[in-house]
Amino acid sequence: MASDSQIEINENSYKIPDFTRNSSSQRSISSIQSIQSKTSVREVGFSSELGSKPIKYGSRGADSRGLSTSYKEINDEDARLVYVNDPVRTNDKFELAGNSIRTAKYSILTFLPRNLFEQFHRVAYIYFLVIAILNQLPQLAVFGREASILPLAFVLFVTAVKDAYEDYRRHRSDKIENNRLAWVLSNEKFEQKKWKNICVGEIIKVSGNETLPCDMVLLSTSDATGVAYVQTTNLDGESNLKTRYAKQETQMRNPQEEKISGLIKCENPIGIYMLKNTDWAIGVAVYAGKETKAMLNNSGAPSKRSRLESRMNREIIYLSIFLVTLCTIVCICHGVWLRRHNDELDLMQFYRKKDYSEPEVENYEYYGWGMEIFFVFLMSVIVFQVMIPISLYISMELVRVGQAYFMIRDKRMFDESSNSSFQCRALNINEDLGQIKYVFSDKTGTLTENKMEFQCASIGGVDYDNGKASTEDDRIGHSIQADGMVLKPKMTVKLDSELLNLSKRKHTDDGRHVRDFFMALAACNTIVPLTVETSDPAVKLIEYQGESPDEQALVYAAATYGFMLIERTSGHIVIDIQGERQRFNVLGLHEFDSERKRMSVILGCPDNTVKLFVKGADTSMFSVIDKSSNSNMVKATEAHLNSYSSKGLRTLVIGMRELSASEFEQWQSSYESASTAVMGRAGLLRKVANNIENHLNSLGASGIEDKLQQGVPEAIESLRMAGIKVWVLTGDKQETAISIGYSSKLLTISDATRGGPGLELLFELASRCTVVLCCRVAPLQKAGIVALIKHRTDDMTLAIGDGANDVSMIQKADVGIGISGQEGRQAVMASDFAMGQFRFLVPLLLVHGHWNYQRMSYMILYNFYRNAVFVLVLFWYVLFTSFTLTTAITDWSSVLYSVIYTSLPTIVVGVLDKDLSRATLLKYPQLYGAGQRSESYNGKLFWVMILDTLWQSVVAFFVPFLAYWESDVDGSSLGDLWTIAVVVMVNIHLAMDVIRWYWITHAAIWGSIIATFICVMIIDAVPILPGYWAFFHIADTKLFWVCLLGITVGALVPHFAVKFVQYYRPNNIQIAREAEKFGNSRESPDAQIEMNPIFDPPHRSGG
Amino acid sequence: MSSGDGSSEPSSKISKISKKPRYSRFTQQELPACKPILTPGLVITILISLAIIFIPIGLSSISASENVVELVDRYDDVCIPSNSSNHDEKIGFIQDAATNKTCFRTWIVPKKMNHPIFVYYQLDNFYQNHRRYVKSRSDHQLWSPKSERATKLCEPEAQNDDDKPIVPCGLIAWSLFNDTYRFSRNDDAIEINKKDIAWGSDRTKKFGSDVYPKNFQTRGLIGGAKLNESIPLSQQEDLIVWMRTAALPSFRKLYGRIETDLEANDKITIEIQNNYNTYSFNGRKKLVISTTTWIGGKNDFLGRMYMTVGGTSLFFAIAFSILFVIKPR
Repeated sequence: MASDSQIEINENSYKIPDFTRNSSSQRSISSIQSIQSKTSVREVGFSSELGSKPIKYGSRGADSRGLSTSYKEINDEDARLVYVNDPVRTNDKFELAGNSIRTAKYSILTFLPRNLFEQFHRVAYIYFLVIAILNQLPQLAVFGREASILPLAFVLFVTAVKDAYEDYRRHRSDKIENNRLAWVLSNEKFEQKKWKNICVGEIIKVSGNETLPCDMVLLSTSDATGVAYVQTTNLDGESNLKTRYAKQETQMRNPQEEKISGLIKCENPIGIYMLKNTDWAIGVAVYAGKETKAMLNNSGAPSKRSRLESRMNREIIYLSIFLVTLCTIVCICHGVWLRRHNDELDLMQFYRKKDYSEPEVENYEYYGWGMEIFFVFLMSVIVFQVMIPISLYISMELVRVGQAYFMIRDKRMFDESSNSSFQCRALNINEDLGQIKYVFSDKTGTLTENKMEFQCASIGGVDYDNGKASTEDDRIGHSIQADGMVLKPKMTVKLDSELLNLSKRKHTDDGRHVRDFFMALAACNTIVPLTVETSDPAVKLIEYQGESPDEQALVYAAATYGFMLIERTSGHIVIDIQGERQRFNVLGLHEFDSERKRMSVILGCPDNTVKLFVKGADTSMFSVIDKSSNSNMVKATEAHLNSYSSKGLRTLVIGMRELSASEFEQWQSSYESASTAVMGRAGLLRKVANNIENHLNSLGASGIEDKLQQGVPEAIESLRMAGIKVWVLTGDKQETAISIGYSSKLLTISDATRGGPGLELLFELASRCTVVLCCRVAPLQKAGIVALIKHRTDDMTLAIGDGANDVSMIQKADVGIGISGQEGRQAVMASDFAMGQFRFLVPLLLVHGHWNYQRMSYMILYNFYRNAVFVLVLFWYVLFTSFTLTTAITDWSSVLYSVIYTSLPTIVVGVLDKDLSRATLLKYPQLYGAGQRSESYNGKLFWVMILDTLWQSVVAFFVPFLAYWESDVDGSSLGDLWTIAVVVMVNIHLAMDVIRWYWITHAAIWGSIIATFICVMIIDAVPILPGYWAFFHIADTKLFWVCLLGITVGALVPHFAVKFVQYYRPNNIQIAREAEKFGNSRESPDAQIEMNPIFDPPHRSGG
Repeated sequence: MSSGDGSSEPSSKISKISKKPRYSRFTQQELPACKPILTPGLVITILISLAIIFIPIGLSSISASENVVELVDRYDDVCIPSNSSNHDEKIGFIQDAATNKTCFRTWIVPKKMNHPIFVYYQLDNFYQNHRRYVKSRSDHQLWSPKSERATKLCEPEAQNDDDKPIVPCGLIAWSLFNDTYRFSRNDDAIEINKKDIAWGSDRTKKFGSDVYPKNFQTRGLIGGAKLNESIPLSQQEDLIVWMRTAALPSFRKLYGRIETDLEANDKITIEIQNNYNTYSFNGRKKLVISTTTWIGGKNDFLGRMYMTVGGTSLFFAIAFSILFVIKPR
């Protein structure tokens, strides 16, 4: 939490002693004190140079979280003391981390213990372990030692290999990172040093475009005012530039010439990441290695549990109850048996309770009736352990990896424009994508491209819609020539020639109005101009970097009309006004905040006037615009604004006011006191801004187009046809939202817009609508709406967004999707899946989601069945062994059953099988409903499956039982028959359900059956095992094969019948499958979509 | 601090490689596939082919079972003095080594029996698959004289009173069946061939030819047969057969083979030495002679099952055919 407030740029306050035009005032600007808000660098004592008087700084700047205090005292105990340029002393007192980073988790020595420790955090593994330990007790040794440990060892081994490989890759990247070079001051000159050897306290010099090796406090930069621009792409993905300021006391010093020493007490580091637009910067390392922000920020992907898995866990509880029931039956029967034969036990040849080997006749391994029953219970838990399909968890993980692979590699979800492929950040909710009922979408940047383009302006009550008159030839734009160089803005907008002409008339009223308008566009922002080389050495492009795409669009527009922002430093801006370069002192800047919804800048103009320029949202602006002076114009502007927003344009209103000297001084003093206040600075600064931002003259309004992303209308239509309710949550005003709604086919029939209801009614109405547009929604309200649906309904929700304001919504929803677009990576970081374009939602949900859900559902049911059928076969046998947990099936086969005999086919089918082709799924979005209605996994299917399992186990057990009754068959041979029969049966069962047979499927299914035969042969070829050669004897008889065929067919008859019923009473998927195979001879899925009335909720003020 | 992601560096921006996934039919999940689908035609075909396979197999196994001639005679209840009606008296009788336990039974052969005729003894209610019992053996000891002390699992029949290992140890060997049968027809003895009644694999790989019985049945409680200590285990075929523990609580064990044909209405006299104690656990003993066919002994179950499955398939095949004609979907 701390980190993201740290990277926000805080407003910088300036102490302006006077504002004279002469250049000597530039010097005074260099005494600006500015410090990043969160770094409570309190005392920087420069004993040698500056005398002993410590200078006190307070951290300043509006706190984004609105905390009342942004200034924190740091206790000496908590504080980190960094002695500048004295790493030895710095590291002496504190055990500070070296700069060597380590993302790898293990070393060769620690790998085994640590990896095992981490693996055993899973319940499944603990279950395995407990069973294995139980089995080691002599009284309970049901399986051989080796056999009982094998499954656990196998799973641990596979996971350990995977972890080791991942860690090896981390080791490699750590090594590269640690051995990069940086310039570090030592013995009064900068020398190259490996990153890993940098210590806290050392002075480091970083050149432009270099990455910083650690978190530093800036001492000086190439810029005279001590500004450094940094890019934080690596931290939060935001590619725009941020400014950081050097300590003024150190700015003018050259550490190579003058020795700097000092003490920095700090709590939070100033992380700066990649130096941009600045030739060099010198700083002190304060946080290194694992304490850097990048490392602290390096948190893992979010973990959610899929709905299917939650449902599955419920069924696993049923299975546990079933398991306990079986064990109870066995132990009660055993108890009864012991009681009834109590007199016979002593001599009974197969029991022999008495041990006559000692003179004193004792009971041999008999612990009394109660204990015997208890042991039998525990033993039956060991024997029937696979009833709880622990291997299923591992299979599910493997299948999800496979599904993620296909999603990532899907070329249809690759975004060419941003060169980004689909990302699976959460690996455990793939199947949720097939059950989505609600999609909550952000608008800007998600439905739209977030590439703002200036479209039109209303200036002085006149609408200049430059779309109407312009042709391509007009788009030459403005360029300026200086020192033989041509400077051009990187992007131009369409020019309105009338407006261009008007802007050149300096002396008419209209002309002045237009010029002020463009001045405001060029000046009232926080844009940083960058000069970019082109292939032509004589031409340079000016690129505008900033945090708001709207501001960029406005500055580009101003530049096109000849008001080109050329330079920005902390104290002034340079604007080229139609060839004339002018310097304006930036006297004050009130940054945008969501309460005021506007920003303003106070400029000291070359003609000695002081002007306040304000731009902001219409609602906030019209309240501070002086309507009395020119009410007609304001009315006209308002009318234009409405027409802009109904065209889907984003609007901003611009106003200005000239400040008198007294007004300015009053402002200055209150601003100064507010900005140095210790408590509640943000609120005070807002108050100062509110005081000055009034009685404005309206200059006009701008309309910016935010283009819809490619394919958005079609995507929304598909989603709606799939029965997904699409809610768009936007901060835009109602008209803009509705117009975007129409253009994106979200709205097709307009209904009355209603107003007024609270949350209850909102839910009532909105849940009946297929489409809901919520406008003027604050970020937290977005999450609130998602939470509302999640709590009130049982439906799955998906949130998609691209910006930091969508993070809460993305985290709240069942599935969060981040658009890796322009607005940085916070949304992506919080998301479960990330992709480049909104339209990829269609293949993601309708195709991959459907497949994932259908595959995973089937796999879970099949795994339940597969294990239960085996357990039941064991159970039936136990009933004929006087309830003593003997297994005819060998230990090894019991153990290998879920590892080798039957595991691979279900994984292959879980990864590869497709019930329908991509084309069909996209053509008939209604097919998505199968997942929404949980058609592939539900209670009914589970119980039907249990019945089928019972039947199959009865057939598999009793056919050999009756066929070999009163024969001379031995236990091992019959056990082999049961083993083979069950394996063949469950694999054929799977084969009957496979929809698409790839060669891999064939290989897995038939290969597993063959592997089983081979394993059984190998086990029976070990002379020391009791079952030696049994398989070869029994397989030599025809009876064996007749039994096998009889079991397979007899057991699968009901399954076949159910499949046939499915044919006779087809669901949508069955129909679509047949249509796919035989063409459209049959009726196509019901393509009707219900059009529910569209409801546009009123904006909910307050929240 | 950079995260080490090289792609964010400006230098690599120039040589930015497209991350676009390489297209292959596998990654796009478009591998060629066969997609069978259940249609009425397919269903009827499957059902008819099932009927075609199952009915003949069923018929032939029923006829095979019919051809098996099997004679079963329970003798544990008749081969004891008629006065010993209660449980303890029966046990007293069987445990008394001095009593003469010879018993004569007479059978009439109902049908001609071609040789080889298999002689089995059958035990009912004898749990050779009891956990205590199946574990009580030492396969190491059976194979190698070096492992004669490997008797850990054999308790309480591991060592004799002098702590010498019992070979073969364990409950299974200890409880070796010891009733004997002598067949005669019209006072001519019918020879019972007891050679090769055990599995060859057991004789050559499991029971050592240099392992001789030692200290066997020397203690107070005698479980069953004694073994000739001069014959190696690999030739003690009755033991080998016995130690292939049965799967189910009613089981037969091969006693020997009669290598001559028995004619219908032959009168066969059997002299039984009724030694084995099944009275202590209410077990039953039966003597069985039977011919075999490809399906094994007499067992109608499989044939009936196959007939049922085949018949049902045929019925549904016809029913569905009619259904599809009358009322297609």
